[in-house]
Amino acid sequence: MRKLAIFSLLAFRAISGIDSYASSAPAPERIQRGEELQVSSAEVGRYGGTLVVGQRAEPKTLNPVTATDGPSREVIGRMMADLVHINRVTQQTEPALASSWKLSTDGRSFTVKLRQGVRFSDGYPFSADDVVFSFRVYLDEKVHSPNRDLLTIGGKPISAVKIDDHTVRFDMSQPYAAAERIFDSVAILPQHLLLKSYEQGSFAQALTLNTAPDTIAGLGPFRLKQYLPGQRLVLERNPFYWKADRDGHRLPYLDEIAFLFVGNEDAQILRFQSGETSVISRFSPDNYPAMAREQQNRGYDLVDLGPSLEYNFLFFNLNELPPDKFQQISREQPWFRDLRFRQAISLAIDRRSIVKLAFGGRGVPIWGNVTPGNKLWINRELPHPERSIPQAKDLLRSAGFSWDEKGKLLDLERKPVEFTIITSSSNAQRVKMATLIADDLAQLGMSVHVVPLEFRAVMDRVFQSNDYDACVLGLGGGDADPNGDMNVWMSNGSTHLWNMHETKPATPWEAELDALLNRQLVTLEYKKRKRIYDEAQALIANNLPFIFLASPNVLVGATKQVANFRPAPLEPYVLWNADELYLRQQGVATAK
Amino acid sequence: MRILDYLKRRFLHAVLLLAAISVLTFGIAQLAPGTFLDEMRLNPQISAQTVDSLRVQYGLDQPLPVRYLRWIASAFAGEFGYSLAYNMPVSALLWTRMRNTFLLGTTAMLIAWSLALPLGIWGAFRPKGWIDRGNSAISTLLLSSPELALGMLFMLAAARFGVLPTGGMTSLYSEQTGFAVADVIRHLAIPATVLALVAAPMLLRHVRAAMLEAWNSPFVKAAKGHGIGNRRLLLHHALPAAANPLISLFGLSLAGLVSGSFLIEVIMGWPGLGPLFINAIFARDLHVVMAVVMLFSVLLVIANLISDVLLYAVDPRVRAEC
Repeated sequence: MRKLAIFSLLAFRAISGIDSYASSAPAPERIQRGEELQVSSAEVGRYGGTLVVGQRAEPKTLNPVTATDGPSREVIGRMMADLVHINRVTQQTEPALASSWKLSTDGRSFTVKLRQGVRFSDGYPFSADDVVFSFRVYLDEKVHSPNRDLLTIGGKPISAVKIDDHTVRFDMSQPYAAAERIFDSVAILPQHLLLKSYEQGSFAQALTLNTAPDTIAGLGPFRLKQYLPGQRLVLERNPFYWKADRDGHRLPYLDEIAFLFVGNEDAQILRFQSGETSVISRFSPDNYPAMAREQQNRGYDLVDLGPSLEYNFLFFNLNELPPDKFQQISREQPWFRDLRFRQAISLAIDRRSIVKLAFGGRGVPIWGNVTPGNKLWINRELPHPERSIPQAKDLLRSAGFSWDEKGKLLDLERKPVEFTIITSSSNAQRVKMATLIADDLAQLGMSVHVVPLEFRAVMDRVFQSNDYDACVLGLGGGDADPNGDMNVWMSNGSTHLWNMHETKPATPWEAELDALLNRQLVTLEYKKRKRIYDEAQALIANNLPFIFLASPNVLVGATKQVANFRPAPLEPYVLWNADELYLRQQGVATAK
Repeated sequence: MRILDYLKRRFLHAVLLLAAISVLTFGIAQLAPGTFLDEMRLNPQISAQTVDSLRVQYGLDQPLPVRYLRWIASAFAGEFGYSLAYNMPVSALLWTRMRNTFLLGTTAMLIAWSLALPLGIWGAFRPKGWIDRGNSAISTLLLSSPELALGMLFMLAAARFGVLPTGGMTSLYSEQTGFAVADVIRHLAIPATVLALVAAPMLLRHVRAAMLEAWNSPFVKAAKGHGIGNRRLLLHHALPAAANPLISLFGLSLAGLVSGSFLIEVIMGWPGLGPLFINAIFARDLHVVMAVVMLFSVLLVIANLISDVLLYAVDPRVRAEC
């Protein structure tokens, strides 16, 4: 009995301390002569340890060409590398697998010099053939890569031509202003492992979660070690990684990164607070106060990175609809199409209250499509009109609206102004925003109903059936460059939410906007391009196809053990510099 | 031979039932607004042409009967359709998760029955006693507590005291310690307890009611009159008489507990079918939804079949009816 008790005690202690067991990651390879390493400017760290990250959902694939969901991209981004990378803090490009690049004088071709002596995570040498192969795959229509659209300029896909083993030329049909930014997040693939599946037409099925780790290789700081369905995915150090610290130690410092699939934000927070995970990426402002109270006791630091690139907005259904099918919406559309009506609504919305109540004060009110989080492109001259119910009423009066004796707003036909705002029920902040808007607009005498719907039901109404009056949505979060949003603002864009069926500009201002956006697309000089994009932002803000509301701050956290932690307001917020992160103490980085 | 005829009949009913469930589920799932590709549509960096070509590639442009027949063909081939989210056959997603769900469900069921059976029998043996009254109060409290709230409460306690993990199924590196099984048990503790606490009150009430009825029946009173002791009377006479409804309940509780664990799996990060199923519904990954629904329909049918066979074996009245 005593033996059993001792055994049980030992077993319990062993299990309780399981996370302190050492990982079995490979040691970094010795740096070889002729290996052209990139030197990191970050603080010099120490090797070892496992960084544990809680993910709300599990990744769906390990294929960088077809991945579209956030968790997959977060994992793949640590396993793969691109030619040129956007530094998430400065938002500027910096060399990655390309040691340098040169734009031709006509702005139509890039010549990229590749780093010498780089090897994939399986030790196989990297060359220009891998780059050419990768772009062939991304641009193949049959592969259906979401990146293909970004790599298509002026309606024609860019072409990659091998000049020699370490030089590749990219030709474009027209000059392209975003320039080398297009190479960011285009992962370079190992031709020696994937050529066969590509030629057999099964590339989309290659690199799934069930693919054996030893048949996956990349150029990122980590490589796949283990995937347990529904539980976790563990990456281990790529011993051949092409970056080193200032003292000449090959990165990454961490032995492993373990992604635990926790299911939802509440569980993510609970696990972070209980010390089971080391970092937390973008949590809701609702949870900030409670987490902040525990910071000191539990040994972690929270960081408010300020406004994200996400912009939330209200928009009206301005689609051309068959009046017989959508009688009610068709009757309301003359209001929605009147700029004075939209201006009045914009003036009546209390954006500061939205920030306070929907984001707990951790956000900023916005009046344009570029948020203060986008340091390079925001037009700081845009007016920020303060909320004014009298001015809003004047505008409505000038547009022919009137009020009955009970204060209800009536349109030109003396019918009450009443409409519905739909929004995604899974996004608590947007439901709050819609509710606050309804309250604000009640002060103008409008009767506004908020209908939270399941996300895909909202998408179906906006994109397919067009059966809605108004909608609150959010966009942004990708690249800071204006080109990422071209499909929203171009009249024939596929995300032209307020009027999905435009093939040519429906209004003069949209024609002007198309022209401005096309001009900025081929303007290579930043200052000139910024001036044009400032004009475009002003045009959007003046014509209010979207009534911009607020942008939430990016809130992240890490335990005190995690060093070189430099989160950024661009995705992936906390792991973008995973190769530089290190742990102050060995073991698994967790809170107290 | 009669048992074989009985089983044949039950099997035919089961096949027809499953066919009807598959048609209904497929139809209802397709009625839900939105498609798997909608999230992509909201990404301004993906063109409408790319989304449309994916729609064609995935066969989402085909009429409903064609899509259904394709799924049936795939199910017979053992793949149960193709997951659009994971880009792989659904069967590859199911088996590991199914094992985990069964582990949780059966553990919870064992705990629930281990609590319900003795407490229910004791409640019937000593009605209105302090144990019976305590059971009644606790089971009322548990019945009125939502599963979600109970789960969150246990998770918060685990986070606070740090004795048990707040979620998941295994610890990192548990395989290196030699205590992998003990580690799984440690992770099972909270979700299995929550599920058992949710299921046990209902089972307890059924056991108590069935036992009370048997205990108060004339044949038990007659046996008492013959001087048979309480222990023998309870276990050898009243319990077999009360077994009929309990056997039916056992089958239902088996299927119910396994599918009922979905919500707990989601909130506690248990890597079972629950999170896969819920995410597939929201993502409109319909073949995954179909496969999970069919899997549990089959389980329900099998559980009912087991109950029926057990009833056939223990109850002569059922045998006489067949």
